[in-house]
Amino acid sequence: MLKWKHIKDTYLYDGTFEGFLTVVFECYVSKVIPFCIIPEEKYEYNLFDSLFLIKTDENKSKRIFEGISKNISQASLYHAYNAFLCEYDNKELYLLKYISYGFQVGPQIDSMLQLDFVFKVHQMRKKALFECHRLKGLVRFIELKNHIYYASIHPDHCIIEPLGHHFMKRLPNQPFILHDKNRNLFFLYAQNQYEIRKESAINLPSISEVEKQYQKLWQLFFKSIAIPERKNRRCQMNFMPKKYWKDLIEDPYIT
Amino acid sequence: MNLYEKLKILADSAKYDASCSSSGSRRQNTKGGIGNGNISGICHSWSADGRCISLLKILMTNYCIYDCKYCINRSSNDVPRAAFSPREIADLTMEFYKRNYIEGLFLSSAVIQNPDHTMELLCKAISILREEYHFNGYIHAKTIPGSSKELIQKLGNLVDRMSVNIELPSSNSLKLLAPQKQKDGILDPMKFISNKIEETHQEKSCKKDIFVPAGQTTQLIVGATPESDLKIIKLSENLYQKMKLKRVYYSAYVSINQDKLLPTLNEPPLLRENRLYQADWLLRFYGFKAEELLNESNPNFNPILDPKCDWAIRNIEKFPIEINKADYFTLLRVPGIGVISAKRIILARRNFELNFEELKHFGVVMKRARYFITCKGKYFDKISSFQSSFIMANLLYQERKDLPQTHNYEQLSMFENILPTKEDRIKCLSGNI
Repeated sequence: MLKWKHIKDTYLYDGTFEGFLTVVFECYVSKVIPFCIIPEEKYEYNLFDSLFLIKTDENKSKRIFEGISKNISQASLYHAYNAFLCEYDNKELYLLKYISYGFQVGPQIDSMLQLDFVFKVHQMRKKALFECHRLKGLVRFIELKNHIYYASIHPDHCIIEPLGHHFMKRLPNQPFILHDKNRNLFFLYAQNQYEIRKESAINLPSISEVEKQYQKLWQLFFKSIAIPERKNRRCQMNFMPKKYWKDLIEDPYIT
Repeated sequence: MNLYEKLKILADSAKYDASCSSSGSRRQNTKGGIGNGNISGICHSWSADGRCISLLKILMTNYCIYDCKYCINRSSNDVPRAAFSPREIADLTMEFYKRNYIEGLFLSSAVIQNPDHTMELLCKAISILREEYHFNGYIHAKTIPGSSKELIQKLGNLVDRMSVNIELPSSNSLKLLAPQKQKDGILDPMKFISNKIEETHQEKSCKKDIFVPAGQTTQLIVGATPESDLKIIKLSENLYQKMKLKRVYYSAYVSINQDKLLPTLNEPPLLRENRLYQADWLLRFYGFKAEELLNESNPNFNPILDPKCDWAIRNIEKFPIEINKADYFTLLRVPGIGVISAKRIILARRNFELNFEELKHFGVVMKRARYFITCKGKYFDKISSFQSSFIMANLLYQERKDLPQTHNYEQLSMFENILPTKEDRIKCLSGNI
């Protein structure tokens, strides 16, 4: 089992994956498991905590990044990254244990689901990827006057990057904006380049002339495709929870 | 007639087709093109009946020369008729796809003039999409029974999935309810497609020209004719083995037409449809044979117990099973253990001996599994006796609590292959288990 020392310190980092990997590096070097690892902006001050701010270091994070894919497995790196996207209390600690124990036992870490932290990491990864998969279907683009496509989303987890990549492959010639309204994040894409920006708001042009027409056609299609004799709201709601309805064009409740 | 009115008529008349899956295709985007396939499929919305909407499911036209008794579009029905032009279909698909409303197109049609003419129009619409608009999203096309082999071949090179609907599960019923269709007119194209798929797989020609990469499917209507469940799943078993079908869809019959040859049902037989889907999964992924699930003296599924529990109760002498020793296919036979949890058990027990607590982590449904297994030689805590009557009573209690939610079969459309391997992993990733 992992023989690192548990210490009472709280480590703060900048909330990015690189930042987190830097924390892993520091812990790895001194063989310690801190009391808590938390992004600076989420931390609420507490008199009794002894705080350490870990500055993101590209070299250190790169070494852990490469170390995971070399010494554990490429799959584990994906698991760690995807689990990191999940909003989950103490996700950093579970991930730290997962990575450090992974360095000891190698690729078979992923079959050790009896270990609490391995199970948790897989659970988090699944949660984030499931939501990402769901949103790949539920995103609705709106064509703006300048022919840019815009879609707002309200995800529980921070999945804007993998989601954006999905649409880049699909619509390479179409500039688009994904807007995570829960986190004020924007995924901006045009001509094979993308950028993720945090903004409180941006100015958008009004919708294009044909847009309303296609929205109407879609609403009509949505309504006509249901078989009234088989109506089953519960089943519909199970697959498409209400929290996602506000970004849809169609009204799921229509009959 | 404008586009809005046409869509209203032609989406409405396409809705009785059960299939809406967009999985099984790895089609990549081309340079300057638009769209790609997603191997595990993506659902874009769910309609009021709880079925997923993944494809723009429309008929090209509902003008039909046939008069099949069960069909809403039969020529003797007085319903509004319309027809899309190939260009209209292609444009609508593109606009919907770009806005991410859909994963692609599911194009079917009633038979206008004759089968070949109809097929040519379908080909036209789809080749505009593929060749002119460089659309690489998912396309599922219906083959028109009785059309020429050349046209089937041409269509097959353009689409991801093809289907020929059998609809009525026996030739007697077919004669009775669809007298203008021939059994061979349905099975011949199916055989042709299946042989072609086999051929291109063996040639291993360059990826681009793969014929129907996502395979072919069919649909059976349940409850319009007197066939037993046994007859239906035997037919499915044959289709999976001999025709190498990817999926057989079951569609509970909805009484839309009045006819002395048709039964009048107050509501579609949804529970029966659900049981057939459950059995279908057992055939494809769990190594069950049709005769194991049902037999001549017991030709229909138990309405109160799912087919796997029902089988386990009838074969109680094969249980309990020791989790730490049983092989993969034995594990799969335990109610509550599925493909993914069985694989996890096999992987994990290499490292240590499993206990009941860990099984929950692996996704085993303990409320069913606990009656049929032992861990390290011990029964689950609260199991006071290992007798079929006791187990039955407990399972029924659970089943009754769960019954209202049993109609959600569409989610399962994520599973596509007989031996899930890589797809399986991707499905794990997407969390759609």
